[in-house]
Amino acid sequence: MRYLKLIKHFIVIAFQDVLAYRMNFWISLLYSLLNLGTGVLGLVILFSHVETVQGWTLASTLALLGVYLTLGALRGLFIGPSLEALAGMDGEVWTGRFDFTLLRPVDVQFLASFRYWRPLALLDLALGLGVLGAAVVQLGQTLTLANLLAFLVALAAGLLTLYAILLAFSALVFWSPGFLFTWLFDALFQMARYPIGLYPGWLRLVLTWIVPVGVMTTVPAQALSGLAAPPILLGSLAVALAFFTVATLLFRTGLRRYASASS
Amino acid sequence: MIESHIVVQNLSKTYRVPEREPGLGAALKSLVRRRFTDVDAVREISFTVAPGEFVGFIGPNGAGKTTTLKILAGLLHPTGGEARVMGFAPWERRHDYLRRISMVLGNKSQMLWDIPPLDSFRVLGEIYQVPPAQFQQTLDELIELLEMQELLTKPVRNFSLGERMKCELVAGLLHRPDVLFLDEPTLGLDVSMQARLRRFLAEYNRRSGVTVILTSHYMADVVALCPRVILIHHGQLLYDGALQGLAEKLAPFKLIRLTLRNGHTEEEILRAAQNDGENAEVMEQENGQVTLRVSRAATPAITARLLNTLPVVDLSVEDPPIEAVIDQIYQEGKVEA
Repeated sequence: MRYLKLIKHFIVIAFQDVLAYRMNFWISLLYSLLNLGTGVLGLVILFSHVETVQGWTLASTLALLGVYLTLGALRGLFIGPSLEALAGMDGEVWTGRFDFTLLRPVDVQFLASFRYWRPLALLDLALGLGVLGAAVVQLGQTLTLANLLAFLVALAAGLLTLYAILLAFSALVFWSPGFLFTWLFDALFQMARYPIGLYPGWLRLVLTWIVPVGVMTTVPAQALSGLAAPPILLGSLAVALAFFTVATLLFRTGLRRYASASS
Repeated sequence: MIESHIVVQNLSKTYRVPEREPGLGAALKSLVRRRFTDVDAVREISFTVAPGEFVGFIGPNGAGKTTTLKILAGLLHPTGGEARVMGFAPWERRHDYLRRISMVLGNKSQMLWDIPPLDSFRVLGEIYQVPPAQFQQTLDELIELLEMQELLTKPVRNFSLGERMKCELVAGLLHRPDVLFLDEPTLGLDVSMQARLRRFLAEYNRRSGVTVILTSHYMADVVALCPRVILIHHGQLLYDGALQGLAEKLAPFKLIRLTLRNGHTEEEILRAAQNDGENAEVMEQENGQVTLRVSRAATPAITARLLNTLPVVDLSVEDPPIEAVIDQIYQEGKVEA
């Protein structure tokens, strides 16, 4: 409850921050709207040419893209800004400003993950949800309440997995404070745009077990189309929890390594 | 007996730092094989601080002051020894502990730059779970003491260094900590802003009874605020006691200022002063005024001889200025017996 209240404060601050620079705000808004426009246009063009890909119908591919965009937007909304503030040459670990995070009587991992929000990512979220909505319309009668519930569970597991991986990559900052490890992840996350079935076998193994983009996007999209059996759902939940546990341990270990930058 | 707020016993901290020789070749070599050296930042220091005390932590750059402060604030693990603050082991960073301490750093900001300070303060109030009524009362009091009403609604980015420092202090004190660690709070400020912050800190310490450990390179801060100083150098504790005593204990000399009726050469004065290898040194000679530096022990004998042999109009014996003492210790790195 207290932490929810804190999150509310962080969001309000983020909005104030965005509004502080009027010109910045309008330019960012324009940029996001352009993104949204070209994104939708791209989808329309794609689906005017293609009907099914490896058993994926147009509707379920659309759902996959929707999940991909939604997860990306949620990442841009809060996980990304908070964790990225740790890394890099002017990051908090490098400059020692992370001291202030450690001094707060609040769980460090919570604070490190939720401090900063990027309200303009809400536009990207609108795009993602819009695409998901289009997918639901395409699915028509095949969408059942059970499918929707399964989808929400799978999406939560996907988001948790995404968070865990970003946390793990960010934790590496305690070993090498100047490097933005999340860039490594970005390249792999691009692959979550398409069904993992499209990739060759060895890559599919990597994308299932090492950087499980399958859990993040493929499973939720399958769930929405009623293609995810309960074992797959449970499996993705298990993967999410396992990644979360490992990432948390890694972050804690990193914290112990942290020796704040000299005065 | 009042229990100590801070107890430090044989505290040590060793950093492992990569060793790197200059040049590109060495840089490339270090990519493959890194060598480390151990740097003892703090070596077995011990002291205690009572509640409400205002203690100055002094020492040259790299003496281990900030390291000690960071260990006490829970930011660093010590390599050896013990430290307890209000009964807590700081590095466990228990929330009960963090709520009762605060750290203000002169060279790092905890303010959000693009929004007015009041908004940052509110978030801090929430983080520290300060009840709304208490929050408002504390804020009003601090704002009044620091005379910064007009700053509350402007973005921090536009502030001068001094104005920002005022905000840092408010941010650090909103939750009414019992122990305050101040690391170079007057760094880079102009003289009158330094004086204002000093007045504020003295007044706040008196009103709230907060225990303060202050590090500063400005002796004026220490002289104005700290009845007690702890001097560390090369990670070792050299002195712990009253500021006045520092000169007595650590500066083995005194200054004798003489005014003579008629001009005397340096040799004549020294001849009059010295006897049996007692050392005297002319520091300054100007318009019949002479300043001699003499060893503390020999001061009475030398003074007597000067009065007997020279036409003295005026004579005074003084402790050297604290800056000179500190400078000598910093440079020589040890306390002379």
